[in-house]
Amino acid sequence: MTDTMEEKILIILKSVLGVEGIDFTVSQENCEQWDSLAQLNLVVELEDAFDITLEPEEIGEMKSFEVILRLVKEKVG
Amino acid sequence: MRYFVFRNNTVERFFPKEYSFSGYDDISLIPEEADGYVWFYQLPVKYDMEALCDEVRGYIQKLELVLSQVSSSKPFVVLTMDDGYSVPMTSGVVLLSAIADYNASIARAEQGRPNVKLLDIREFTRQFAASEVFDWKFWFISQMGMNPRLSKPFSEWFSHKLEQIALKRKKCLVLDLDNTLWGGVLGEDGVDGIKLGGDYPGKAYHLFQEALEELGKNGVILTVCSKNNESDVLEAWNKNPFMVLKKDHFAAWRINWTDKATNIRELADELNIGLDSFVFVDDNPVERELIRQALPRVEVPEFPDQPYELPIFVKSLVEKYFRVYSVTSEDKLKTEQYKANAQRTQSQREFVDFESFLRSLDIRLKIEPANEFTIPRIAQMTQKTNQFNLTTKRYTESDIRGFIETGWKIWTLSVADRFGDSGITGLVMLNGEEIDSLLLSCRILGKGIEVAFLKRILALLKGEGSKSVFAEYLPTAKNSQVKDFYERCGFICIDEQPNGSKRYSLDLKSADLEIADYYNITIK
Repeated sequence: MTDTMEEKILIILKSVLGVEGIDFTVSQENCEQWDSLAQLNLVVELEDAFDITLEPEEIGEMKSFEVILRLVKEKVG
Repeated sequence: MRYFVFRNNTVERFFPKEYSFSGYDDISLIPEEADGYVWFYQLPVKYDMEALCDEVRGYIQKLELVLSQVSSSKPFVVLTMDDGYSVPMTSGVVLLSAIADYNASIARAEQGRPNVKLLDIREFTRQFAASEVFDWKFWFISQMGMNPRLSKPFSEWFSHKLEQIALKRKKCLVLDLDNTLWGGVLGEDGVDGIKLGGDYPGKAYHLFQEALEELGKNGVILTVCSKNNESDVLEAWNKNPFMVLKKDHFAAWRINWTDKATNIRELADELNIGLDSFVFVDDNPVERELIRQALPRVEVPEFPDQPYELPIFVKSLVEKYFRVYSVTSEDKLKTEQYKANAQRTQSQREFVDFESFLRSLDIRLKIEPANEFTIPRIAQMTQKTNQFNLTTKRYTESDIRGFIETGWKIWTLSVADRFGDSGITGLVMLNGEEIDSLLLSCRILGKGIEVAFLKRILALLKGEGSKSVFAEYLPTAKNSQVKDFYERCGFICIDEQPNGSKRYSLDLKSADLEIADYYNITIK
C-alpha cells in the first residue's frame, strides 16, 4: 500500500504535469508541460506530501526527477 | 465554463484548469469569446505608502475601463482587495482608505452594471491566520499574493460562490393586470374595452404580453396578483381576442380584493418558492411601496409611466433578474438548438421562384364577419388606412353598427404566416351588391393576399346567390397604387370620370375566382 519515495514523487509529477507517460528520466528539458507554473505546483505538492520545506535555491535547481529525489531524500532523512 | 481572469499576480493555481489569464496587470486584451470574466487584483508589494495607494487607486480606473468594454450579458466577478502583508509604519489609515476606496468602487460597479458581482475575498481569508494567507517565499519565487497552499479551499469557496450567484436569478414574476398587462381597468371598461392589441397603447401592452410569454417559455414562472373579480378576469382571458397571456400561462394567481402582500405570501407558499425569488410588477406606485415595505425580500422594480417604454422595461427586467449569470450548459444547449433552427430556416429560404417563396410562408387568411369585438378595429381601419383603400370612406363605430343593422355584409381579414400573426389587417364592406369599402394594411401587401381575399369574398357572394357585384375607385393623393386593382381582378370598368374615379361591375357567373393554393383560407 505504501508507495516508495520514488513512486510517490512520480505520482506527483504525473499529476502536476498532467501527463501519464513519464518515468524517472523526466526533466524540464524533455517535458514541455514542465513550465514555471508547474514548478510552483510541484513545490507545493512536494512540501505537502513529504512535510518538508524547499528553499528558493533548491527550487531553482529542481529541474528533473533525479534532483527532486535527491532533495527529498536529504530533507526527509 | 471558460472564464478569463484579469490579474496582477500569479493566481492560476486558484482557478479551474480551463480558465485563461491576462498578462500581469495587463488590460490590453479582452477576449470576447470568454464565457465570463474574473477580476482578481491583489495588494502590490511596496513600502512606499504613497506609491502603493496611488497604484491601488489606479486599479479603479483600470477596472472601469475593462467593464466598459465587456458585454453586459457576460458574468463579471470582481474580488475585493485584502491587506495580506503590510506593516503599517503609522496607523495604517492611508492604506486602509485606499483599499476601501478600491472596494467601494467595486460595489458601485455592481450597483451600476447588471452583470457585475462583487465577491468579498475577506469572506474567505478570515478563516485563516494572517501568516497562513501570505507566504513571502512564494511572493519572491512566483509573485504570489496569496499562499498557494490555500488554493484548494479557495477553489471550493469560489465555485460555491459562483453557484450562489447563478441561483440569484429570480424565479417568479407576480403581475398586476389593469394598466400593467393591458391599458384601462377591466372592471370599468369591460372585456372589449381594455386597451390590448390594435393601435397604441393597446399595441404596446400586446407586445409586453408577448415578451412575458417568451420569458415564461424561458423558465420564468408567471403569476397574477390583481384587484379584480376573478370571473371578469377569466372572461377576459377567454374572450378578448388580443389576449396573449391567458389562464394556462399562469402557474397560480390571486385575483381578489385582499391586500397584495398577503396574496404574494400565499403565492410563495402555494408554489413553494422563497419570497426572494419573486419580482413584483405593478403600475400602481402605492402597491409597489406596500410590497417594498411589507415584503422586503421581493424585488419591486419601478414601472414605466408610458406604455411605449414597456420594451425598455422588459430589457431591464431581463438583464437585472432573469438572464444574469445563468449561462449554464443547458442554456448553451438551447442556444445550439436555436442555432440549428436558424440554419434550417436559412436553407429553407433558397427559393427557385416567388411562388415557392409565397408557398414557404405558410400564409393563413382568416375571414370573419364583423362582431362586437372587431367593430372598433373596423372603424379604426376605415379612419386610418390610406394607401390600399379603394374608396377612402371614413366611418365611426356607430356607423358600422348602423350598417350591420341595415343588412350590410362586413368581413374582416386576419393574416398569419410562418413569422407571426398580423391580426386584423383588411376588411370589405358590402351594401347589397355594391362594394362600399375595401381596404388592407400595407403591412400585408406584396404577397397577393389582396387578390385572394377579394376573390374569396366574391366566391362567398356567388355561393349565396349573387349574380353581379359593383365597385368603385375614388382617387385620393395616397391611393393611386390601387387605381387598377379591380381591373387586375377581372372587373369591367363601366364608367370613368375626369377626376379619375371609376365605376366597375363584375358578372359573378363568368368571373375567374380561382385562388392560388398556397393561401390557407378559413371563413368563420
